[in-house]
Amino acid sequence: MNVLEVEGLHTYYGKSHILHGVSLVVPEGKIVALLGRNGAGKSTTLRSIIGLTPPREGAIRVFGHATTHWAPDQIAGLGLGYVPEGRRIFPNLTVEENLLVPMARPGPWTVRRVFESFPRLAERKSNKGSQLSGGEQEMLAIARTLMLNPKILALDEPSQGLAPLIVREVFNIVTEARKEGVSVLLVEQNVRATVAIADHAYVLDNGSIVYSGPAAEFAKDEQRVRALAGASAEKWEMED
Amino acid sequence: MSQLILFNLFNGLIVGAFYALMALGLSLILNLSGVINFAHGGFLALGAYIAYTLMPYVGFWGALLIAPFLTAFLGIIIERLLIRRLYGRDPLYSLLLTFGLAYIFEDVSRYIWGAQSVPFIVPGFLTKPLSNSLFFLTGYRVFMVVLVAIAVAALFYILNRTRLGMRIRAGTMDLETVSTLGVNVRVLRNLNFGLGIFLAGLAGVLAAGLLGLQPTIGTSLIMPSFVAIIVGGLGSLPGTLLGGLLIGVASGLTTVFFPSATEAVMYVMMGLVLLLRPRGLLGEEGRL
Ligand SMILES: Nc1ncnc2c1ncn2[C@@H]1O[C@H](COP(=O)(O)OP(=O)(O)O)[C@@H](O)[C@H]1O
Ligand SMILES: [Mg+2]
Repeated sequence: MNVLEVEGLHTYYGKSHILHGVSLVVPEGKIVALLGRNGAGKSTTLRSIIGLTPPREGAIRVFGHATTHWAPDQIAGLGLGYVPEGRRIFPNLTVEENLLVPMARPGPWTVRRVFESFPRLAERKSNKGSQLSGGEQEMLAIARTLMLNPKILALDEPSQGLAPLIVREVFNIVTEARKEGVSVLLVEQNVRATVAIADHAYVLDNGSIVYSGPAAEFAKDEQRVRALAGASAEKWEMED
Repeated sequence: MSQLILFNLFNGLIVGAFYALMALGLSLILNLSGVINFAHGGFLALGAYIAYTLMPYVGFWGALLIAPFLTAFLGIIIERLLIRRLYGRDPLYSLLLTFGLAYIFEDVSRYIWGAQSVPFIVPGFLTKPLSNSLFFLTGYRVFMVVLVAIAVAALFYILNRTRLGMRIRAGTMDLETVSTLGVNVRVLRNLNFGLGIFLAGLAGVLAAGLLGLQPTIGTSLIMPSFVAIIVGGLGSLPGTLLGGLLIGVASGLTTVFFPSATEAVMYVMMGLVLLLRPRGLLGEEGRL
């Protein structure tokens, strides 16, 4: 079963036509990677799905509901958790307050469990969001979205600007979430680390899907990986 | 002399408390919805008239308790029907709308309750001076300051200790992200508007007890409240509180030493703040 289905999205910012018929699916319990260069339209795709930048054409279904023109809070209310690009931590709120902003959907995640699973956030719970390091902010952004108890997790470049060790930690959280039955749509530029944990990979270029296939297959195609990862991403090699 | 200074200092504090109460409501609405609510003084007047109308039935205390809630309810309806439509547009639209509403409220009050000042009777024991030497310290004035303090404390409790308050504070920084976390931001802005109008309604009831009640009662409070926001720092509610009290006390003291400048002093303060510290006393960096 697919928990998320996206069909033929055409999304615009004002007059600029950004997405040209993007289609993708996220099957239940899988990690789906959405890769692509800077400016390819990955963030726009996620923003269309969560309702921040609704598409002008096309259809989005979340758990079978046609959510194409729903408001973001209604879509989130179905159990679609979105971790935005650049974290967007509330800088004027403490760590604990950041965790209390989301709507409280029933599920396993509580403030207490977050502090058990993210000891670093527990230590910093009374600090303002603006006082956190990049890694801590990413942890908080993910934990904050987990407080919604989502069944689908859509993350926009969670590894952006983080040290390799922290990237591993972040990716571990994602695989842990999948083990608990959460389906994942992972937008990344960190190609190697992403295909290592993903089940399926899409590649977006210039607002169109140019590749779709099993992540393992994509990982084997060294030429494709190198073309997409570029020289700068070589250092993201993950062990095992 | 010291009697006179004390008298005007206390007067300034009371006036400042009104400015603060008004300005806090204005700030709440401005910060979350980007609307400069020129109708705020009109809501204040309506709060007072609602209390005046209720008083024969429920007494002063009942009216004091109920009127702010009814005013807030009215605010919630008007936000829902009119103001909401202009969110995200050029601020000029909502400015014009609330400006128009202010005139409509004033004329409606005049039509229903008359243009003349109506007597607003507060309980007798509150009007007696507390002591002979401090003749100006009537029970009502002290009561008013205490009530404003309680209202402000309650407001900060809501903002800092409840989920609603945390969402309002988060929304002032990044409403988009709040909405992706499953929070209905249409309801959030609606409740926040009601909260701001509640404060205006309360200020109206209290002001009427002190100054009497006529349709223009809110008009003289609106400009100083904007000044309070700018002096305190846009975006900072503690700053707004401080700004309101400061300009109130400053105009109170100016009455003693330079009476003709009483009205002007707050604008001089605003000018100085804008020159020396453009973000305001407690305003955050980067938010002018
Ligand atoms: N708010 C915006 N207004 C106009 N154009 C935008 C906006 N956001 C992104 N774009 C443009 O849309 C294209 C896709 O951007 P984006 O979805 O952010 O790409 P990615 O996330 O893959 O890096 C880019 O060309 C970018 O310049
Ligand atoms: Mg992006």
